[in-house]
Amino acid sequence: MSLIKKLFGIVWSLMGVGIIPLVIMQAMKEIAAKPSEENWIFWSIVIVVLMPIISFSLITFGVFALKGEYDVIA
Amino acid sequence: MAQNVTNVSQTEEVSSTRRVIAASSVGTLIEWYDFYIFGTLAKIISEQFFPKDNPTAALLATLATFAAGFVIRPFGALFFGRLGDLIGRKYTFLVTLVIMGGSTFAIGLVPGYKTIGFFAPAIVFILRLLQGLALGGEYGGAATYVAEHSPAGQRGFWTSFIQTTATLGLFLALGVILVVRQTLGVETFSDWGWRIPFILSSLLVGVSVFIRMRMSESPMFVKMKKEGKTSANPLAESFKKKDNLKMVLIALLGATAGQGVVWYTGQFYALSFLQNACNVEFVQSNVIISIALLIGTPFFIVFGALSDKIGRKYIMMAGMFIAVISYKPIYQAMYDEAALKTKVEMVDKTTVETKEAVKGTDTVTTKITKKSYEDGTTYKETVKLTVPLDPVKKAELAAADKLKPETKKEVTLSQDSYYKMIGFVLIQVIFVTMVYGPIAAFLVEIFPTRIRYTSMSLPYHIGNGVFGGLVPLISTRLVEATRPAPGLPPADPLAGLMYPILIASVSFVIGMLYISNKTNNMDVE
Repeated sequence: MSLIKKLFGIVWSLMGVGIIPLVIMQAMKEIAAKPSEENWIFWSIVIVVLMPIISFSLITFGVFALKGEYDVIA
Repeated sequence: MAQNVTNVSQTEEVSSTRRVIAASSVGTLIEWYDFYIFGTLAKIISEQFFPKDNPTAALLATLATFAAGFVIRPFGALFFGRLGDLIGRKYTFLVTLVIMGGSTFAIGLVPGYKTIGFFAPAIVFILRLLQGLALGGEYGGAATYVAEHSPAGQRGFWTSFIQTTATLGLFLALGVILVVRQTLGVETFSDWGWRIPFILSSLLVGVSVFIRMRMSESPMFVKMKKEGKTSANPLAESFKKKDNLKMVLIALLGATAGQGVVWYTGQFYALSFLQNACNVEFVQSNVIISIALLIGTPFFIVFGALSDKIGRKYIMMAGMFIAVISYKPIYQAMYDEAALKTKVEMVDKTTVETKEAVKGTDTVTTKITKKSYEDGTTYKETVKLTVPLDPVKKAELAAADKLKPETKKEVTLSQDSYYKMIGFVLIQVIFVTMVYGPIAAFLVEIFPTRIRYTSMSLPYHIGNGVFGGLVPLISTRLVEATRPAPGLPPADPLAGLMYPILIASVSFVIGMLYISNKTNNMDVE
């Protein structure tokens, strides 16, 4: 179980890192296709609010999991 | 004799706990009510304070709707959480109640854009931010306060009463709005009647403040303060110390994020889906949600109590898992139930009425088509075209392709479909009660008393406010992306479910792997 938790730690960290370019590229693509105010507001909310929370929490959580910090909780 | 004394003492303890629960829950319920009336009346508020022809005001409208919902709540959690861990739970959540009540009451009194211009949206925006701040501080305080009064082994049961307040607050908001709207009529309600639910809040808050003033401080906090064990800097202790930060992260990713999306999907997205994808008429759709909420609410207590017996984890995880696998079939069934193409139309009962009137500087042509179906369903389509009387303006709008009619579709479901819809929403409310019923007990138990208010409030408000609060925005966007062209129906009306399903799936895996099913004694360390 402890090994699975650690291996998944890598998955969470990669997800946290991977989401950044994915979201930014999608935002650029959609804003370029339709530069409306609605698009700007939507992507600003996603990039400024949601993405940092997801990325920071997944990366930090993944690193903790990889280091075995959550082994004792079980 | 000794037995009698013990019995009397136990009865007094239960009675005292009940008083604590009642006083805390009423206040929290009112805070949720205050918060939801703004969201429920967003369209009218937008017309009163945020006119579409003023781009800055329109931007403020968007920010007011969303910012207070998710950005500000975590800040309120940090600010009031810190205060609660420093000076006490009782005074902090008394302050949040006063701020919430005061700002709600004030929104009801702010003159419209037509009277005071740009000051109107600016004042409403600030008041909405205050509402978000207050809500951010309220929940953690109430949950902590109740948990610290509850006997060990019954914490899930007692805190679940606090968990009912968010749903009951939404129910109360919908109920008050419907009653006032039906009593005054749609036009008067849109004109000034919408202010009544806001002003009514002052009365509710006044009663609640009076009750809370008479409550005593949490026994755990009092003991800790006497022993000089309170935290000097709850924020630093909560988020800079690795041992605590890792619990904050696990609470967020393994519990509150999934809980937040399930909560918002089952209650808010269901309403939005009924109104926008199924075109169910305003009053009927609100009544469907209200009935489902009312029937489902006792299950918060059922699952809260059950979590004392079998642990918090498996109930919350089961709720997330069942929601993930059943959302698509449930929403497909809702969509099919309201779909007119599967119903047999009674063509002889179809009526078409066209009216033309001059309103100010425009000619408004309205065409109303009413259809009836064999199963009892009725359909009303209103097509409204507004054309300026000024030929130059008319030509300008036509050249810019802006002379388009507005179409409003309203389906009134048959009795049979109506009950089925209540059933479909009720199933989702049950998922909500599974993930949300035990979560207050889960959160208070994983953090120590000295920083509990701060530590539990932040993951709760990020999970519920940010991940959950974004469900309507992201899901609507996902559906719109499948629309082939403006005016045409979306190719995949269920595309919006992708966001809650994805977040709840990740939360489920993290929760299953890393969360313990054990409950602790929550003693003062």
